[in-house]
Amino acid sequence: MVSAVYDHIIAILVIGAMFVGAVVVLPTMSYINLQAVDQQQLRNTALNIFNAMLLNTGEPTNWGSIRDFQKNDQRVQRFGLASAQESTFFVLDPDKVQRLVVGNPLNYCDYNKVRELLGLQNYGFRLRIIPPFNVTFLSVNLMGNSLYYKARVSYLDEGPIPNAEASATVVCTEGKDYFNINQSGTVKTDSMGICEDIIPLGISDPDFYTVILRVTVAEVATLIVTSTQTINNTIARINIVYDTIILTSWKDPPDYNFQPSENVWIFDIATFGSRGSLWKLLEGDEKGNDNMFNTGKGPFERWFRDFVGLRAFQPVILIFNFWAVDPMTGRGRHQVLITMAYPELLGTSIFEYGGLPYRDDAVVRIQRSVVISGMTYTAEVWLWKESP
Amino acid sequence: MMRNGKKGQMRIIEAILASFIIIFALSFANIFVITPTSPKYEVTELQKLGYNVLHDLDEQALLARFIYNKEGDNITAALRVLLPLDVHFSMTVYDLQGIKTDNTAIFYGDTETFATSKNIASVTYGLVGYATKINDAYQATYEPRIVILQLARG
Repeated sequence: MVSAVYDHIIAILVIGAMFVGAVVVLPTMSYINLQAVDQQQLRNTALNIFNAMLLNTGEPTNWGSIRDFQKNDQRVQRFGLASAQESTFFVLDPDKVQRLVVGNPLNYCDYNKVRELLGLQNYGFRLRIIPPFNVTFLSVNLMGNSLYYKARVSYLDEGPIPNAEASATVVCTEGKDYFNINQSGTVKTDSMGICEDIIPLGISDPDFYTVILRVTVAEVATLIVTSTQTINNTIARINIVYDTIILTSWKDPPDYNFQPSENVWIFDIATFGSRGSLWKLLEGDEKGNDNMFNTGKGPFERWFRDFVGLRAFQPVILIFNFWAVDPMTGRGRHQVLITMAYPELLGTSIFEYGGLPYRDDAVVRIQRSVVISGMTYTAEVWLWKESP
Repeated sequence: MMRNGKKGQMRIIEAILASFIIIFALSFANIFVITPTSPKYEVTELQKLGYNVLHDLDEQALLARFIYNKEGDNITAALRVLLPLDVHFSMTVYDLQGIKTDNTAIFYGDTETFATSKNIASVTYGLVGYATKINDAYQATYEPRIVILQLARG
């Protein structure tokens, strides 16, 4: 009798253990598989999205260069950042990438619009464009009528890059009439990644000076950086759309109560390309009408001009020399403005666009090296699933 | 009575053995399931990345110059700036007989990564020759090289 009770107790315990095992182990095994399948689907989707973004031109193929682009423009039927002019893969159109810069005065596509165009309703994504290496100015000093600079070139993990080739271009102004751009020869970085040079200016004590440094590593990756002294740019925002340079007001709509600078002329425009050459686009004076604009009145778009071949030149930096007459004092003064040709792109900082994942481990990342305006960067797409 | 009780015990033991067999079969089958976290997918992604970079260098006519002129430092620098920060690499160049043409280490990362990582991608890229300028004319000789680029995440 006692042994039968023991038998039953053992049988109940064994069956109970088997039941718990079946309830816990089997679903866990299937859940891991389900999760794995889910992640594989995410990977496939990420790869398709990545290809759609970086290998397709989108529709229309020149959608980034549409002149009167509206925010989330309805004319964009399909999304893609590849350049329509290039036959090689992973060459991006800077006009299209510029339409992802939130706050672009010439309008942009926001995250939800791009998600809609890519058919990513239940997914989130993030696009990152990462520079290939870093360049930091250690010092820029005037030495009589010469300028001395010292810079450090390093990998993204801060390791020094020896034998990188650096060439400097100096922009300086003095008084009303002196505006000069000097280009120096090439110097190489030492084992610590340091390069330095002295560039003759032709004048001493300029009102304004800046160094534009073009650094190339192994002839494959180039970065162009400036040591621009901080200036409060209230003159205009500057963009390039295909071959056209467009200057827009800082205020949208323009503030008509604000006392405008009545007489502003563009004396000089020069652009510095990714291949290291300089192109003087415009030389004007204070008598011209076609190089004059007004900073306080008039429409949002203040000034534009086509420069045939500008896009093919692969511009990276724009140098503007303005001449403004102060309405209160009646005295004129220079203002040099140095900006990136495509704001927020082609610099040493990472460009980021899109949402943020709620969990890092649920994200798929895909990376490739891409070329924008002749410069090599790493494009990274993150994709994750969002609850519907 | 005792006989029936022992029969019952045997049934329980049989049931336990049967359940163990089922669980064992399921676990065994699970080993062969290729999950996305398995090395195969990560390796494929690294292979694409490596091929993309080598192809870019070749398009710019730099890969052949670096390889045939034995510019190991330049290849290392080029790969370091073109590949993402967390990707470690090791490159070896062979001729058609399978003999190493350059003993300079074209390497970035931790040796431990390559020794321990299960996800090592290998990309093979062929070069047929390199044109050199002789008396103002370019002359190319057929001298194939096989470039093997190994990649791993650090």
